[in-house]
Amino acid sequence: MQTATIRPVQLPFDCIRSNLARAGLLLVLLLWSLACQADDNTLHRGLGPEPDALDIHLAQSLSALNVLRDLHEGLVSFNARAELIPGAARGWTISDDGRTWTFELDDSARWSDGEPILAEHFVAGWRRALDPATGSPTVGLLDVVVGARARRMGQASADAVGIRAVAPDRLEIELVRPVPWLAELLTHPVTYPWAGDASRFSGPFMLAQRIPGSHIALLANPYWREAEQISLDAVRWHVIEEPNVELSRYRAGQLHITETIPPGRLAWLRELFGDELRIAPYLGSFFLVFNHQREPFADNLALRQALSLAIDRELLTERVLGAGEVPAWQLVPPGMPGWPKTDPGDPRSQAERIAEAQRLYRQAGYSERRPLRVELRFNTSLAHRRMAAAVAAMWREHLGVQTRQVNEEWKVFVANRRQGRITEIVRGGWIADWRDAANFLQLFESDSPLNYSFWHDAEFDRLMTQAGSASGEQRLELLRQAEQRMLEQQVIIPLYYYVSRHLVHADVEGFEDNLMDIHLSRWLSLR
Amino acid sequence: MLNFSLKRLASAVPTLFLLITFAFFLIRIAPGGPFDSERALPPEIEANLAAKYHLDEPLLFQYGRYLWQIVRLDFGPSFHYLDWTVNDLIAQGAPVSFTLGALALILALLIGIPIGAWAAFRQNRPADYSVMSIAMIGISVPNFVMAPLLILLFAIILGWLPAGGWEFTPSRMVLPVVTLALPMIAYIARITRGSMIEVLHSSFIRTARAKGMPEKDVLIHHALKPALLPVISYLGPAAAAILTGSVVVERIFTIPGIGSYFVQGALNRDYTLVMGVVILYGILIILFNFLVDLLYAWLDPRIRYDDAEIGP
Repeated sequence: MQTATIRPVQLPFDCIRSNLARAGLLLVLLLWSLACQADDNTLHRGLGPEPDALDIHLAQSLSALNVLRDLHEGLVSFNARAELIPGAARGWTISDDGRTWTFELDDSARWSDGEPILAEHFVAGWRRALDPATGSPTVGLLDVVVGARARRMGQASADAVGIRAVAPDRLEIELVRPVPWLAELLTHPVTYPWAGDASRFSGPFMLAQRIPGSHIALLANPYWREAEQISLDAVRWHVIEEPNVELSRYRAGQLHITETIPPGRLAWLRELFGDELRIAPYLGSFFLVFNHQREPFADNLALRQALSLAIDRELLTERVLGAGEVPAWQLVPPGMPGWPKTDPGDPRSQAERIAEAQRLYRQAGYSERRPLRVELRFNTSLAHRRMAAAVAAMWREHLGVQTRQVNEEWKVFVANRRQGRITEIVRGGWIADWRDAANFLQLFESDSPLNYSFWHDAEFDRLMTQAGSASGEQRLELLRQAEQRMLEQQVIIPLYYYVSRHLVHADVEGFEDNLMDIHLSRWLSLR
Repeated sequence: MLNFSLKRLASAVPTLFLLITFAFFLIRIAPGGPFDSERALPPEIEANLAAKYHLDEPLLFQYGRYLWQIVRLDFGPSFHYLDWTVNDLIAQGAPVSFTLGALALILALLIGIPIGAWAAFRQNRPADYSVMSIAMIGISVPNFVMAPLLILLFAIILGWLPAGGWEFTPSRMVLPVVTLALPMIAYIARITRGSMIEVLHSSFIRTARAKGMPEKDVLIHHALKPALLPVISYLGPAAAAILTGSVVVERIFTIPGIGSYFVQGALNRDYTLVMGVVILYGILIILFNFLVDLLYAWLDPRIRYDDAEIGP
């Protein structure tokens, strides 16, 4: 008969005789397990700076809007490609005159405590937003609604505002004029429903924890109308201001998606991460703005054109900025509805452009003996500093312009740019609030608080006013003419279009590049 | 001693008052306001915001209102982080900064003092030179170089520790604490060495040695205590600074302490947040300098603060 002796298995741990050494090893293992601790099915996303507020009526920053789109849902929402889809509203109808929109609410729409979302909650939200005591910075977006402007200025009662709950599941919005982009506007948090306090959420996720300067933790909302479609259990948005720090955390395996990438390291990142690096067109423009109310740029078109032509945009974007930016010759970014898919650019070669720039420069009354002395003003940022140095060098080399680069702290810059008393050329830029060319062009209307060029042009204003009351292709044509007008007048020097830049881990599914750079967590999952 | 303590505490009140007054008006002199942003707001909306935060009142009125708030320990709402009051932000961030700072301080003392003393004991020998050279490197290499190097090595290459983020767990604390402690270790080691050398040459040490006392006892029982006086003077302001967080370390390791509020608050013109952290820092500086003076008396029998006890 065969007998088997079972010998106890000796674990490596047993070989360690000293209790002190065992305790040490245990401590190391504990630290190791804590370091490697991975919560299952939690998506870790970089957020950028701390959001200014998670109150739907106070939030303004991009980071706040990203989190709020996970926590709440408006009448209209986005799919993974950031195209409009019905949100809390099942559908809507528009009156013949285009001024009354009626929304049918989805009867399965629920707050995070299971209570139904009703039309009156939208009315309550808009009333709170428009109440001057709330101090909402984004409420101006509602100005297209009847009575909204008067109400936010404290000149009308809340009842005078054109939003009504005609039935518990039916909402009517009355506009001062037809607004083709209203559906897009209704994706903005300032239009979301309000349940009387900030502890209830109408979106696919709900707030679980918030530590300022660290992270915002969300949990899937079981009462959300399409809760079964959410694949993630939780989402953790990490507040990380420095792109280099964010990159380190991504490389250390702590993030699935980054908010951005550090500037000037594109080739290295491409080599290191391959397909995980996602660079895509984005509806944003970067430009330099002339101050038209001061010498030397007031009434000097030739000089403005000369300075624009002397800048080699390809060189600037490829060699100086190097984070995927696209050279720009227009204000409205390509891909905007009614606009071409790519910037047609300037058909001349760079050498021809420079020759023309030199001719115009002389025509404007400047020469080597009498060079232009100008200030180029920008706020503190590595990318801006590089841009300014390159632009100044190009102007000097081709025209002999003497540029003083003025780097200002953010708030000082914003105040100076706004007052326009000492500025000559300032850096400008705009990112689309919604997919509509008017969103960019309105910056240059005479009465716009955002018109840092102080350019006042009756023809441009007329085209914009006409576009405001037109619709369809006619409206787009008027907007194109308006853009043409301001480009001909060289109100600004377009330099480049922004691109969205993310690192997306191979385990993440459902992330689709899109022009708005909006990626709701509800469409994302982990392999 | 009681007299001295009461006097010191009484003098802290006008000091703090002056600090609050200067800070209040200085931050308001800076161009730009808390609600200036890339997207300039329509004037009516700006007026609504100004009214909500009482910024439309005359400055002296605002100052009076602020002093009254401070008396009630209410630092007001943050102008930039709109969901929070300054009390909230400090209450959430201070424990993190205090923990990190205290751990770094303890680590720096535990390592800095022994190696400084040892270097003094081995003065002008290879051990002394090597310790002091390493200390010099520790002082010279700034945090913003050391922190990314530590992250690269321990988080990215070796994968032993997280690259950043905060929890009250050892794995999250190791790298930031070490980064904060390294330059302090170097400072403390250099200060200890210098003062220890001076003490070792003094007559009471010669006497102890002449009596045949073992060298170890001379060092620990007689030389160390007086040699620590300069370290203690250094520790007062250093402790206040390190406990209120480090901008660089907090940003690189994404730690939610209060260090970054000093810079972010000023850049955002977040008037109330700047005031909150300045007052906290002021209180800590006053408190630690007071504690240093008390420690002095304990360490050096020649120092007495009450007039009657001053020796010849």
